[in-house]
Amino acid sequence: MFDRDIWQEIYHSISNNKLRTFLTGFSVGWGIFILVLLLASVKGMQNGFTLQFSDDATNSIFVRTGTTSLAYGGFEAGRRIQMTNDDVEYIKRSFPNDVEYISPRVYQNTSARYKSETGSYNIQAVHPDHQAIEKTIVNKGRFINTNDLINASKVAVIGRKVEEDLFKSEDAIGKFVEFNGLPFRVIGTFTDDGDDNAERNIYAPTTTYQKMYGQTDHIDQIALTYNPNYDLTEALAFSDRLENVFRRRFKIAPQDQAGIRIFNYAEVFEDISNFTGGLDIAVIIVGLLILLSGIVGIGNIMVFIIKERTKEIGVRKALGAEPWSIIKLVLFESVFITALSGFIGLGIATGLLAAIGPNIQTGAFANPSVSMSMVVTATIILVVAGVLAGLIPAMKAARVKPIVALSDK
Amino acid sequence: MIQIKDLHKSYKMGKNSLHVLKGINFNVEEGELVAIMGSSGSGKSTLLNILGMLDSSDSGEYILDNVPIKDLNETKAARYRNKFLGFVFQSFNLINYKSAAENVALPLYYQKVPRKERQEKALKYLEQVGLKEWAGHLPSELSGGQKQRVAIARALAAEPKVLLADEPTGALDSKTSYEVMDLIQKINDAGNTILIVTHEPDIADMCKRIVHLKDGVIIEDKKIEQVRAEQYV
Repeated sequence: MFDRDIWQEIYHSISNNKLRTFLTGFSVGWGIFILVLLLASVKGMQNGFTLQFSDDATNSIFVRTGTTSLAYGGFEAGRRIQMTNDDVEYIKRSFPNDVEYISPRVYQNTSARYKSETGSYNIQAVHPDHQAIEKTIVNKGRFINTNDLINASKVAVIGRKVEEDLFKSEDAIGKFVEFNGLPFRVIGTFTDDGDDNAERNIYAPTTTYQKMYGQTDHIDQIALTYNPNYDLTEALAFSDRLENVFRRRFKIAPQDQAGIRIFNYAEVFEDISNFTGGLDIAVIIVGLLILLSGIVGIGNIMVFIIKERTKEIGVRKALGAEPWSIIKLVLFESVFITALSGFIGLGIATGLLAAIGPNIQTGAFANPSVSMSMVVTATIILVVAGVLAGLIPAMKAARVKPIVALSDK
Repeated sequence: MIQIKDLHKSYKMGKNSLHVLKGINFNVEEGELVAIMGSSGSGKSTLLNILGMLDSSDSGEYILDNVPIKDLNETKAARYRNKFLGFVFQSFNLINYKSAAENVALPLYYQKVPRKERQEKALKYLEQVGLKEWAGHLPSELSGGQKQRVAIARALAAEPKVLLADEPTGALDSKTSYEVMDLIQKINDAGNTILIVTHEPDIADMCKRIVHLKDGVIIEDKKIEQVRAEQYV
């Protein structure tokens, strides 16, 4: 099929019409170029979103309770739902395979003082697991550990901003800082890529705060991460199960949104992937339409070439060329022009992305790139496009009557 | 070699139908050199088209080398043409981006002859028409007579049963015409069957038989004493 003669024919046809071939090829190359860049942009947005949310573990779930808004199970509306340490243990027991890390949160506002410096901060009283859930980066000292929890030690891990505010140039580790008048020893400091506000937080052991404030076992929130192997559906299914269990446990009406709120990051990701998926489709459609104009261009040129070569085709037929061999000639030329110019467009686009993609790192846009599968798909599209572009002209060529070889025009 | 019986052909021109061939009967034996003569509109081109399987007849019989030629589809016609017929055209019809040798090799390509063999054969036939040194030249680098000789080599390359020549000297001056006719005569001497359509009497006289067409019928069919073209070259 791919003998030298066909290549020679294609070579002659192209080299006799360099400008025409270039202009036509350009439209297809341009189409593929745009398509690849658009798809890469969507990929960049996807990367950007993922990066934004990856500050917190992307597989995290937060459970908050509030005041019921509906009467249910014999209780009137307006009941305050209060979670306790037991609920954390209960989740651990009930979902041993689903839960990766889990920690309660107790919130407390505090005015902190070190020497003459004071400031007002949020304290989150948590378990050691919390470090993994929030992806806290401890840059000095350590995070809260199990011993701190058991002993209800008065220790604190403070954010970088807190350290800056209170300790100025001093090293905070090992120093004592007063929270609402009570001394806590600073055991670590942390930073957070996400935002500066997160660095104004202070972490302390849950038990310490529960003991200090009324010997309760109350907690404000439960933060947990689920099995990282879960995909989106499994993750959403798990948070649904969790919610059902909690609604039963606290006797909250199934439709009561105020009583309990379970926030699953997977939902956000579902929204994002729906969004970018939709965008992908839109981009593919736009890209294909651009490509289509290129295909029409090539088809147009091929029709013209056939018209120009009618006599030659007639002579070939008189010499014994079968229709199929004429069709083959036209199709190959069309596929060749389409594929070659498409690959050039593809090459320039991927080259451009490889060169500048990794340097693009703004808020919601990061590292636009193309995948191998996209390149393969584009190639298939190109070959199909070439065949489509050549089909009508090829049929036209096959219908040329050999009798034209005899007419002297 | 060729048997034609009661061949009819008409063309539809709008509402009217133009009866071009009104019952042609003639036979050609192997090794003949036949001139088909007639003024324009006599039907000689139509007859040649039908003989060349470029067109089909409405009724009648056409037997070529004992093969009845009928019910041809495009592919079959192409195969028959390739196998049985060699064409020589008035305007040479060489492919302008192919060298002389490549042009000669083209029918062999359609016979699916391997590349190397094609090249050898092409050179052999170019040698026969005296153009071996011009094998690598493009048609644009050749004179009219040379082009027609390349075209004849191309027609011979497929080793056809019958050579059909449509006004082979129509585009050539008389000296070159005689050179081409000399070549045709020599090919005929070697035993090839050749049909030439022409309206030039001196060319017709160089054949062995003249068939005269007028208004779609043969009005004269005579064997003649061949004038050798050699003496004019």
